[in-house]
Amino acid sequence: MDPQPEPTSYICGDCGAENTLKPGDVIQCRECGYRILYKKRTRRVVQYEAR
Amino acid sequence: MEHGSLTDLSSSTFSLIDEDHTLANSVRFTLNQDPRVQFSGYSIPHPSDNKVNIRVQTTGDPAKDVLKDALQNLMLMCKHVRITFDDTVNDFRATEKVEHMDINSNR
Amino acid sequence: MPKVSALDMPDVPKGKLPEHLEVQRTRVVCNADAPIHTEPFHYSGAFALMGVDNSVTLESFCKNLKIEVIELTEDTMEFDMIGIDASLANAFRRILIAEVPTMAIENVLMVNNTSVIPDEVLAHRLGLIPLNADPKLFEYLSEHDTPNERNTIVFKLAVSCKKGSPRLTVKSDQLKWLPGGSELEMESPTPSAKPRTYTSFSRSQDSMPEFANKPLGVKHQDIIIDKLGPGQAIELEAHAVKGIGKVHAKWSPVATAWYRMLPEVILLKEIKGVDAEKLVKKCPVNVFDIEDVGKGEKKAVVANPRACTLCRECIRGVNEPQVELRRAKDHFIFKIESAGAIPPEVLFTDAVKILEEKCDRVICELS
Repeated sequence: MDPQPEPTSYICGDCGAENTLKPGDVIQCRECGYRILYKKRTRRVVQYEAR
Repeated sequence: MEHGSLTDLSSSTFSLIDEDHTLANSVRFTLNQDPRVQFSGYSIPHPSDNKVNIRVQTTGDPAKDVLKDALQNLMLMCKHVRITFDDTVNDFRATEKVEHMDINSNR
Repeated sequence: MPKVSALDMPDVPKGKLPEHLEVQRTRVVCNADAPIHTEPFHYSGAFALMGVDNSVTLESFCKNLKIEVIELTEDTMEFDMIGIDASLANAFRRILIAEVPTMAIENVLMVNNTSVIPDEVLAHRLGLIPLNADPKLFEYLSEHDTPNERNTIVFKLAVSCKKGSPRLTVKSDQLKWLPGGSELEMESPTPSAKPRTYTSFSRSQDSMPEFANKPLGVKHQDIIIDKLGPGQAIELEAHAVKGIGKVHAKWSPVATAWYRMLPEVILLKEIKGVDAEKLVKKCPVNVFDIEDVGKGEKKAVVANPRACTLCRECIRGVNEPQVELRRAKDHFIFKIESAGAIPPEVLFTDAVKILEEKCDRVICELS
């Protein structure tokens, strides 16, 4: 286990603002108060076969 | 790969890997044009296998030689088709060019 | 009465086939219910007893083969191939569709895609885009090869739609060629190691003489790939490789390649007056026309049999047939519609060459 869990980025389902959340934080957008947040897509390369 | 008997060379089945109707049907055509051929036909045993069986029965000559001649004939036919095609296309281009020039000079 | 073979009777033609057999040999007759005489006579000695040779020698083939170009444009072509067997014409057609190689996007490295199209669907769409690259200048990338400048073309697509701006259409011209190869770095197990990209180009493709004057790209600039809403973005790399249509249709060099046998329309009797006008009206493609025979009398003639689609409207529901529809078995109207990478006339010669190579391969294996 990591000693310090990394904060993760989320995107607000309503206004689209980026939020960083640590474990234990309230799940709520800091800009608009909306309570549905989506996890940001990884920047890691995903490889697909074009078929 | 050839399947035939050692005593009778005049009839054999040839199993071609990675071939299909494209080659087999054309070769069957050229084989049938050869007067030495008594029977020729082809089959694809299973559609999932990339192979085709070509059956050749001759009036006496070795089936292998007859098949080789048929392939050779097919190759020469293709060559002739290609040359004829190229010539016709070139002729077509040339006449088209002339027609274009006529249109321009009329202007 | 002395016994005489039927073949020696005075009304049987010598050295040539009787008419009904000649029709059966050279024509497909399209009756109202079904076509008949569709199978050719394969065997060279089929008519040996009648003294007729059914064989095709190389000499007779070369003498009889005729090709006529009807239409030739940048990417379509129509020509007539006369005096050739269906098996060969079909072999050319099959090779054109499935065995002439082209270049197509095969691997998509997706960094970001927040558009409405899922990653795998977007990758599939990219695969189908025709590329303007000559496959003869490339090698096949086999399973254990590393992608290099001789077997891979790399494209980059990086578009985003700003927040608050209207919806953005992503088109094929936004795929940018990367002559230097991939710009994405592979994740290495040891962080200290020198980062490697997904391709190993030894030199830039635009420094190679074959691509210096002719940059690689897509054939059509206006193919819609995706639509981005405000805030959405795509960032990816697409790697194109050489392949054949047999493996996947995206490598097929033709939109379609097809042939039809030359239609032949025969009037079985003279059709005059009202009947003639009825017949002309029946045909949706105007095969028939009316001719004045003088004294105000009109008769139907076959004006344009080539246009016949064999819809059989003219022979449908009549008690006594007036018209016979046939097709010539050795006259093919061949049409090639190129997808764009290779001009149609080159495609056909390539296809014929591939059949030659197939023969050569088998001959070598037999010897």
